[in-house]
Amino acid sequence: MFPIHDYRTSMTRRRFFGRAGVGLAALSTLLNDDVRAEAVTTRNSIGGLADLPHVAPKARRVIYLFQSGGPSQLDLLDEKPELQKRFGEEVPKSVYPDDRKTTMSNAQSSFATAPSLFQFRSFGDSRLRMSELLSNIGQHADDLCIVKSMHTTAINHDPAITMLLTGSQIPGRPSAGAWLSYGLGSETSELPAFVAMSSRGSGKAGQPLYDRLWGSGFLPSVYQGVKFRNQGAPVLDIYDPSGVDPATRRTMLDYLSRLNELKFQDSGDQEIQTRIAQYELAGRMQASVPELLDLHQESKHTLEAYGPDVSRQGTYAYNCLIARRLAERGVRFIQLFHQGWDQHGSLPKQIRRQARDTDQPTAALLGDLKARGMLDDTLIVWGGEFGRTVYSQGTLTKQNYGRDHHGHCFSVWLAGGGIQGGLAFGKTDDYSVNVVENGMEAHDLNATILHLLGIDHERLIFPFQGRDFRLTDVSGRVVQDILA
Amino acid sequence: MRIEVTRRLPLAIALWPILALEIAADDRPVSFAAEVKPILASKCWNCHGPDERTRKGGLRLDARKHARDVLSPAGDTIPALLERITSEDPDTRMPPATSKKPLSRTEIDVLTRWLEQGAPYRQHWAFQPPTRPPPPQVSSAISVRNPIDRFIIRRLEREGIVPSPPASRETLIRRASLDLTGLPPTLTEVDDFLSDTTRNAYERLIDRLLTSPRYGEQMAVAWLDAARYADTDGYQNDRYRHMHVWRDWVVMSLNENKPYDDFLTEQIAGDLLPQATLKQQIATGFCRNHRINSEDGSIPDEWHVENVVDRVDTLGTAILGLTIGCARCHDHKYDPLTTKEYYRLFAYFNNVPEWGVGPNNGNSPPFIRVPDSWPDLSPEENAFQLPEPLKLRRARETKGNGLKRPQAGDDTTVMVMHEMETPRPTYLLVRGRFNAPDKSEVLAPDVPQLLSDFLDERPGDRLALAQWLVHRRHPLTARVAVNRMWQQFFGVGLVKTVENFGLQGEPPSHRELLDWLAVEFVDSGWNVKALQKQILMSATYRQSSRTTPELGSADPENRLLARGPRFRLHPFVLRDGILASSGLLVEQLGGPPAHPYMPPKIWSAISNNTYEQDTGAQLYRRSLYTFWRRTIPPPNMVNFNSAEREVCVVRKDRTNTPLQALTLMNNITFVEASRFLAERMIRYSDDDNAALRFGFRQLVSRMPTLSEQTLLNDAYASFLDTYRRRETAATELLSVGEKPRDESLGLARHAAMTMTASLMMNLDEAITKE
Repeated sequence: MFPIHDYRTSMTRRRFFGRAGVGLAALSTLLNDDVRAEAVTTRNSIGGLADLPHVAPKARRVIYLFQSGGPSQLDLLDEKPELQKRFGEEVPKSVYPDDRKTTMSNAQSSFATAPSLFQFRSFGDSRLRMSELLSNIGQHADDLCIVKSMHTTAINHDPAITMLLTGSQIPGRPSAGAWLSYGLGSETSELPAFVAMSSRGSGKAGQPLYDRLWGSGFLPSVYQGVKFRNQGAPVLDIYDPSGVDPATRRTMLDYLSRLNELKFQDSGDQEIQTRIAQYELAGRMQASVPELLDLHQESKHTLEAYGPDVSRQGTYAYNCLIARRLAERGVRFIQLFHQGWDQHGSLPKQIRRQARDTDQPTAALLGDLKARGMLDDTLIVWGGEFGRTVYSQGTLTKQNYGRDHHGHCFSVWLAGGGIQGGLAFGKTDDYSVNVVENGMEAHDLNATILHLLGIDHERLIFPFQGRDFRLTDVSGRVVQDILA
Repeated sequence: MRIEVTRRLPLAIALWPILALEIAADDRPVSFAAEVKPILASKCWNCHGPDERTRKGGLRLDARKHARDVLSPAGDTIPALLERITSEDPDTRMPPATSKKPLSRTEIDVLTRWLEQGAPYRQHWAFQPPTRPPPPQVSSAISVRNPIDRFIIRRLEREGIVPSPPASRETLIRRASLDLTGLPPTLTEVDDFLSDTTRNAYERLIDRLLTSPRYGEQMAVAWLDAARYADTDGYQNDRYRHMHVWRDWVVMSLNENKPYDDFLTEQIAGDLLPQATLKQQIATGFCRNHRINSEDGSIPDEWHVENVVDRVDTLGTAILGLTIGCARCHDHKYDPLTTKEYYRLFAYFNNVPEWGVGPNNGNSPPFIRVPDSWPDLSPEENAFQLPEPLKLRRARETKGNGLKRPQAGDDTTVMVMHEMETPRPTYLLVRGRFNAPDKSEVLAPDVPQLLSDFLDERPGDRLALAQWLVHRRHPLTARVAVNRMWQQFFGVGLVKTVENFGLQGEPPSHRELLDWLAVEFVDSGWNVKALQKQILMSATYRQSSRTTPELGSADPENRLLARGPRFRLHPFVLRDGILASSGLLVEQLGGPPAHPYMPPKIWSAISNNTYEQDTGAQLYRRSLYTFWRRTIPPPNMVNFNSAEREVCVVRKDRTNTPLQALTLMNNITFVEASRFLAERMIRYSDDDNAALRFGFRQLVSRMPTLSEQTLLNDAYASFLDTYRRRETAATELLSVGEKPRDESLGLARHAAMTMTASLMMNLDEAITKE
């Protein structure tokens, strides 16, 4: 036999020392707390996991400006001046093989190079190059990090957007916002921790959105995003039915609480206490939502900055302003979905309209947050589910072209909490077809977002179907190079 | 090898006696299944498990024969495994820091004791066929009504816990009615049961409920969730399909108590049965309920693979209780299931004459025509139909568009399974990718080795696959089925992870009871109603659900079953029950989906489809008939944790949220229902007390207590005062919903009763089975 008893004795002692070491660990946690306090002033969170944050957070919340449909990187963020000389030339098969062309354009007889019609300019002290279509956002160039090297294997909207926002093409996984609410809890009890809003571009009928994009998947549904509707009551059933005034509702809630309390006395089920609390919370939400939407509190100056659409519910501008107000009220994850970037044909005309919808309000949101000192602890993410082809879908003319879905590269930008401003990160080839430097996948982007919020993406897990699931599945890395 | 111990703190010496004590108490035998295996599975097998691709250092720890060398000491040293898990050198310590899965102190201790005891392995319990254990003897035989109780009580006796007394009769009839029919009992039914003094009154109640046509409607719901049944294709534009005939088949089969082995066989391979009937063919719609991608630009081969994958994964979750899907891209990390075995299962479902992209509205081939007389088919009509062959056409005339779509089946058709004459060859797809087939070997269909050693012949087609599933020695099918029934009645399965009986699944709370039920089920000829009757006849089921703080904190999930089940209703049951109590419910078995109230522009706000709400009777059908759009499922239902029906789901957590409160207080369905419950209350009696009691009983089947009655009276008086002063408000409230009010009723009284009815509908008890 092996001397296991001795061994175990020694080990047990060693373990005791290890345990004494807990004191040190606790001390380092305290130190961490200081780090934490320095990074962001922490409000008290409701819920959330005890072992968080894993690292010092740089941001406390996220405003994710999702541009649905696949914005053209070639016309917005990934400048390819050399392509002007190749107008109309075939895109070489060696650069763009046939097997990942979608069936919308794969039978074309020609795949003609379509350089962008739009001028790129240098913005800010950092001389960041961006399209004239984004000249308002360009005013904040020194706060932006443009990532040109995103890529995905999906070439259809549904799998691509589901992949980016839930980490899997197959439905059933929690969305990024749900993971954050689960991990970090909420900073408000009067509003949901995760709010999603949508708007339609004036460019083109948008691609549809689906509940799973803000869903909680296998996480408990308390973590799901609440979709603010783009007309009428923003939250379903938030208003009392007509004929029920606040006093009547209060009376009803009071009696309900007393009757439920009696039931609790009889039954002893703790769930009843939870329910009593949820009704109180619902009552508070009913009061706080109208206050949230009351734009009379905004100055004329602020409203003008967001542009003329700001007072119309369901527009991107309105949603941007509401996003700021939600952020101020402690909402953790605010996700806007702006539809209409799916420009297969007449791209120049369509993209001008999309830019008109979004450029000014996005810039206003950045400026507004900055003026209020909130950009430092708010992470802004702007981007879509994939990019668009360098070849023209349909006929190419000097004034017009279309672009099909393209997964091998696309561009996004980030700003705010913990992001290095004035940076262009990653490179694509001369055609903006393939990534040649610093490629980033959905999992890398998500790992980086979680990191900035103080979360190690490998440790934010939830056991389901016999394994520990993560937003980043089994990959993802924090892209340190884009961090401040 | 000796491990150096660094003395960092002299304090340790003072505590030495405590440590010695700890060691002395440590020589209990370690359970491989309960203690060791979970550690190995979660901390080691990722790199040292069945998956060859990710295996490190050629070491496997999932079976003793592979691991022997590291488990036994060589000479007078300690086993290599122990050395590595306790090493102080970060370079040799296992698991490595990069895994971020360090072993805890207790875990190291368990492994150490296990090694010391010779490191025995045992085959996973769920992979061995169940045998019928004798129901154990218990001391308190008085609380035993049938064998189920013996298993439950023995465990309670061991824990020193006393079971609860039986629930009241009102509670029992409400509990059983909700469980078996999805609706609360009527007051007449309650009164009859209360006054029935015969000895077998309860048994006759259960028998009556089991033969109600509502039984099938209620029992179908969990199966529809597992079968991911919906009225749309899912993905992107999420257009319509027509599968309600399959849903009707499920309801009818459950009502006629089709044995579970036939129920499964027909759904998996009804088309392959000798002299298959049309109904058996329709049953195979189960395998076609997966999502179908119709998005422009899709590559058909890619989405064809996803269709087949979904069939395999659904088989895994719904029938086998295994996470088979893990093996799509790599050998399973925990269960002995290789990628090759995955694709052999895939081969059973790969021969459908289908096209990977859908028609973008309507059924995808293969489909068959449903006779107008459905479901009352004549013998001639109820005969196998050859589906029309796949016909492809160009998706768009746009130049350069290469997409082809199949013909669409209209609402007189239903999708079914069919075999191609020449089977499509199946290859292992490397990393699960459609465009990376390993063409070195064509894979013939077969079932996993581990679960089929009792077979004489390998199952060669879908029908043989089904026969393997329902083979009496199959270790999983019956266990998984009875466990799901248990979950439905008690809220949590005996195996909590109803979707996973594999090595990472949770061990059963009552292993012997599970096996007893499984064997009983098979021996009865897979008689579903008989087994459910046994469960509902048990004293365990009939216990009161009252709890104490001690019991509540000792066993918050009620896994030991020292009390009866108490949990919030499934959203379908919740809505249907309230419609029934208010007299609005329209009962009509089967047919095309209904379009009840939804929030305005529920679809068009974020998608390209428009919801067209029905009017009249269709607004008040049972929830099972509500049109189910996968990408935007009905918010009222999803709010209360219904499955989304995008993929197979067999378990949903129950949450308790403020949004649920908002729905119940303000949603048009519930406000309208409170108006009509109020009408019934007013018609019942001019006496307010009696009217309030009547309404209360409609919702919870019992009389209010004196204190409750007082509170209800006070609330009503307060509302009455308000609405007497505010007639306009009363009129407004009484106009919520489509159905006009009875104008002959006094306005203020009607409005005040409506508010009181709404108050009662919001009671925890009204939305809870207890």
